[in-house]
Amino acid sequence: MRLAQVSFLLVLVAGCAGVAPDAPVTPNAEVVGLQTTTTVQPEPVAPQSTAPRPTAAATPATSAASQPVPTETAARASPTAAVAEKKSAARETQAPAATTRPPTAAASSATAARPPSPPAAAIPPPAAPAALDLNALKAQLKETKAIGVLTKLSLKNQVDDLMQQFRDFYQGKAKVTMVQLRRSYDLLLMKVLSLVQDADQKLASAIVASREAIWGLLADPKKFATLEG
Amino acid sequence: MTNRTAVLTQALLVAAFIAGPSFAADDEALKKDMTAVIALQGLPCGQVVAVKVNAENDFACTCKDGNRYRVYVNAAGRVVVEKQR
Repeated sequence: MRLAQVSFLLVLVAGCAGVAPDAPVTPNAEVVGLQTTTTVQPEPVAPQSTAPRPTAAATPATSAASQPVPTETAARASPTAAVAEKKSAARETQAPAATTRPPTAAASSATAARPPSPPAAAIPPPAAPAALDLNALKAQLKETKAIGVLTKLSLKNQVDDLMQQFRDFYQGKAKVTMVQLRRSYDLLLMKVLSLVQDADQKLASAIVASREAIWGLLADPKKFATLEG
Repeated sequence: MTNRTAVLTQALLVAAFIAGPSFAADDEALKKDMTAVIALQGLPCGQVVAVKVNAENDFACTCKDGNRYRVYVNAAGRVVVEKQR
């Protein structure tokens, strides 16, 4: 009888020993995730976010504030693509130049004439916007176990705040510019990604893929109105 | 009688062993949640090392850097993080 009890105890204790490592592993992963978010996150986002931001910053703030929104969004869409193309073209042209030219010549001719722009065929076409399923994304965010309930609620609060800022902007109440709204949007998305990317990579990549499509909805007053209704 | 007591003690011990990891996992998840909530508000914390449940949706958090916060959901449904002295 005693032997049976002892063996039963041993089995249960062994079972617990098998479960125990799970608990310490999660906080470690969480800590690593929180600490590395700033370094890991930009990788998928960088190609998309680095290109539009300088353009947004380069776009005069006064024009963004004074001009009506549709022009602003249109102006935003086309120059970003143009700058992205220019950047990629510059990269392509600079890379061969660096390999062919000697280092001394490179130093002296830094201000000299730049190589001619590459043929149009060499420029990669801009990536097509991913199909956006906003409802599926919402459902995924609600159901994911990567973030806790209070975190989700906190994120929802911040999303609501941003939506209110857009609402005020379109109603002419707010003094924020579209550039500032874009910055807030990017920051919020970065927060969501940093919370999700370690534990739910599928959702993180879905968010990254929908990034520009969601911005398209927010930045267009007509689409934003349909979003509200 | 002593046999029964011994069996009861062992059963309680087993129950404690089983329940322990489950509570620990819940606690870790809550700490992680609180860490994220505080970080989302842009407040310094680092990592939440202790959470005390004051009431439903009302928590007192102690951070690794010594900061203490009260995290709760107000009547409007907003998550509020208040720094405690």
